[in-house]
Amino acid sequence: MSENKILFEAGSFDGISEEIGKLTSNEESRLKLTPDNADSGLAKLVLTLVELIRKLVEKQAMRRVDGGSLTDDEIERLGATLMKLEEKMEEMKKHFNLTDRDLNINLGPLGDLM
Amino acid sequence: MHDNIVDRSKDISILEALDRVLNKGVILTGDVVISIADIDLIYLGVKLMLSSVETMEQLKSGRSIKEIQ
Amino acid sequence: MEKMIYALLSANTDQKEVISLLAGRKGLSGADLYLVSTAEMAVVACDIKRADIIANSYNAIEYASVIEMLAQHFTLLPVRFGSVMESADAILQMLERNLDDIQQNLLKVEKKYEFGLKIFCDSEKLKADLKAKPEAMSKKAETADQEITQSIYRDWVNKKLKEHRLEEMLLTYVDSVIAEIKGHLCMLQAVSKFNKMKTATMIIDAVFLLDMERKDALIGAVADLQNQHSSLTFVLTGPWPPYNFVDFTVK
Repeated sequence: MSENKILFEAGSFDGISEEIGKLTSNEESRLKLTPDNADSGLAKLVLTLVELIRKLVEKQAMRRVDGGSLTDDEIERLGATLMKLEEKMEEMKKHFNLTDRDLNINLGPLGDLM
Repeated sequence: MHDNIVDRSKDISILEALDRVLNKGVILTGDVVISIADIDLIYLGVKLMLSSVETMEQLKSGRSIKEIQ
Repeated sequence: MEKMIYALLSANTDQKEVISLLAGRKGLSGADLYLVSTAEMAVVACDIKRADIIANSYNAIEYASVIEMLAQHFTLLPVRFGSVMESADAILQMLERNLDDIQQNLLKVEKKYEFGLKIFCDSEKLKADLKAKPEAMSKKAETADQEITQSIYRDWVNKKLKEHRLEEMLLTYVDSVIAEIKGHLCMLQAVSKFNKMKTATMIIDAVFLLDMERKDALIGAVADLQNQHSSLTFVLTGPWPPYNFVDFTVK
């Protein structure tokens, strides 16, 4: 296909092709479970789900804090919990050699999990 | 310089086409899972499970898998 | 021998014309392309052995170019690369089972084409710009900043809170751009779909379905939008077969 499909493009933003390429190169985000990597494969799956929930909780917590309905004491405890959770997650990622990009699953027709 | 622009436009056109043909469009139930070369195609390991269910159904209904050409 | 399927067409399509267009064009494994049709529908397919399907960009583009060629002449529903069915019989049964959905979808995209608009920006830079805006510092934000921090936990919450607010502002900004695009589009009677924040710099990934004669008006609208948003880069592509407007799941 030699046809040029660009109808409009102004200016020059570097890395456009790179960004569009990201939409199809989901090699890293695919979940591969084989007998050899069952351990890290399972860790990846579990940590992906944990990370998803952790991010949702953190987001929700920030909404509550922003809403101003929490007491100082509550915010303090919330911060302590979420901060420790974040640290723990970093440890786990390091332990299983996973990056943020690994902790996502391509759900095919549904797109990315995160 | 001009050549660069042409190449880049072609690049973008091809990547756009790839995104569509690999990620969009009608998905038929007979889909194959292929993961070779530089492209990784769709779906988790659900296919195996689905095809064994399919085989079971065929066995149950006694339908032959023969092709009608 | 399995059948690789390229596209679903309405039976109203001039089948002789399709066949003459397909003449000489080869499918993936070099096999001929042909039509499998019922009274209501038709599909373009070619014979292929499962083992012969090599999924690389070259083959995917070859496959896409057949769909592309057909779409220039007929209304069709493009099929995703890698779709293979066991036999002609299986294809006919699939068509039968999904008759209503396929016909409805074909009707929706009849004589229309897909156009893609991607909007890029350096989202880190945009965040910095948003931060610099006076309204970014709401009263609440000020009080949070001025508070004497009691602990590292409180510091952590304040840091996260700032990130959260920036993200919300970025989303609000993206939504305002989408609203603006929609405003420009309502004259074009286009069906549109918007995705936000696909990647760090691709803040909007939109697709439109519209008549070919409105193509120039669309280009004009995008040029206008680009003029108003110098910090964003608009890339419009098309016409494409209606890949993003297939709204049904094959049973």
